[in-house]
Amino acid sequence: MGAASNKLNVAGLTKRFGPLEALSGVDVAVDRGEFISIVGPSGCGKTTFLRIVGGLETASAGVIELDGRGIVGPGSDRGFVFQSDNLLPWRDVVSNTEIGPELAGKLGPEQRARTLKLLELVGLKGFEHYYPRQLSGGMRQRVNLARALAVDPTLLLMDEPFSALDAQTREIMQTELSRIWEEGKKTVLFVTHQIDEAVYLSDRVFVFARRPGRVNEVIDIDLPRPRPLDIKRTPAFVAYVERIWKLIENDVRVSVLEEHEG
Amino acid sequence: MTTQTTSAEGFFNADRRWAWGSVLTGLALWEFASRVLVGSKLFLAAPTQVLYALYELVATGEIWKHVWTSAQEFVIGYVSACLLGVALGFAMASSRPAKAALQPWVAGLYATPTVALAPLFILWFGIGIFSKVVVVVALVVFPVTINTETGLLGVNKNLVETVRAFGATPRQIFFKVSLPAALPFIFAGLRLGIGRGLIGVVVAELFGARAGLGQLISQSAETFNMPDLFAGVTILAVAGIALTGGFQRLERTLIPWRD
Repeated sequence: MGAASNKLNVAGLTKRFGPLEALSGVDVAVDRGEFISIVGPSGCGKTTFLRIVGGLETASAGVIELDGRGIVGPGSDRGFVFQSDNLLPWRDVVSNTEIGPELAGKLGPEQRARTLKLLELVGLKGFEHYYPRQLSGGMRQRVNLARALAVDPTLLLMDEPFSALDAQTREIMQTELSRIWEEGKKTVLFVTHQIDEAVYLSDRVFVFARRPGRVNEVIDIDLPRPRPLDIKRTPAFVAYVERIWKLIENDVRVSVLEEHEG
Repeated sequence: MTTQTTSAEGFFNADRRWAWGSVLTGLALWEFASRVLVGSKLFLAAPTQVLYALYELVATGEIWKHVWTSAQEFVIGYVSACLLGVALGFAMASSRPAKAALQPWVAGLYATPTVALAPLFILWFGIGIFSKVVVVVALVVFPVTINTETGLLGVNKNLVETVRAFGATPRQIFFKVSLPAALPFIFAGLRLGIGRGLIGVVVAELFGARAGLGQLISQSAETFNMPDLFAGVTILAVAGIALTGGFQRLERTLIPWRD
């Protein structure tokens, strides 16, 4: 398989914010349909990386190709799932979900049928006409996910989407996301702080390091699918978590100390 | 059946009871003070006397020319000021040069006691309706401008970023995010404008008019006709309450997502 058949090719990607080098020489390749998680300490540039792929930031240097083409700005081939749900409070679930097609001028009965199916897929059947303030945090994140899926993206970009949820809801959402991914087999880039979340969901985990932000190591997660939640207690799973934690432990300690000093 | 129960509940619910209780007690004290403590219609008219004056003004039909004149002044001035204010607010929120150019005027004129300039406006624009409309516009336009600008600038950046990620153009961002997000602020400005507009009408009429509630009030004051004076004031108060109440209803319909 040549580089051109990859979903995403990144070579020498560098991003500077003034004097600060947020990303330095990132090289990664992602296959079609792969589920990739990105973990790393605070300040390792993982969110910046995701935003560059999403077209919300521009790279300072380097090559970044999606389906063999350079990225210029956001596009409907990518669906972004944000850390906070960012639902428009004046729109109900359906019209929040349909914002992407609406902006592209693609509303209609067919889209509505797809939207309703998507909402069923994410477990929101019966809540189509609720407003965001009437929904729990977990349900709002389901809308957030459905909204990204509604543009029928080939690449799903997820920025710590479950970090604001309580532990139980988070685990449920992980299994749901895993199920949804297995149905659609979209390529996913998933940024998270939770190592177990990354291992549970992913085919591969990109471990980032900081100062400057770069890819430290890529770990293949060789666990069978579908993965029940109790796979998290198996020795193989725990070993992956341990290994990734060891890779970032030192960085995390330094970053915690720095944050403490202000 | 249902409407009857709700209206009965509405009347007997605790908040309403306090509101009515306080209003009725106030009226009773007023009646007592006027009839027993003051004892002269020339100084203070009792609520019952005001009510009778209102009845007479309506019966003779004299009230309508005053109400009609003031209403025209208010509506023309208020609507123009709202349109102008919203437009200025949009301009200030979306263009830096516009903001820089308008900011000193808005800040300066908002704080100026514009009503004090009412005699000047009457001198310039005559004793008719137009001078009053100008005063109303001058009073209403600035809170509307400031609230519109504040609302548009205060839009949650994350919401903007989200629709941008889904490919929104600047125009779509404005109409689908900024504008609806600013609506509660814009409406608060429009609501503030109601009271200021009514004050503008009356004060401008005090300085010279052929008809209008302000003219009725000043004429009654000159002739020590306290019942008529209070009748004019009462109509204005009721208009203020009705307009603000109607406005809040409109807000609830147009902004249902607000808790």
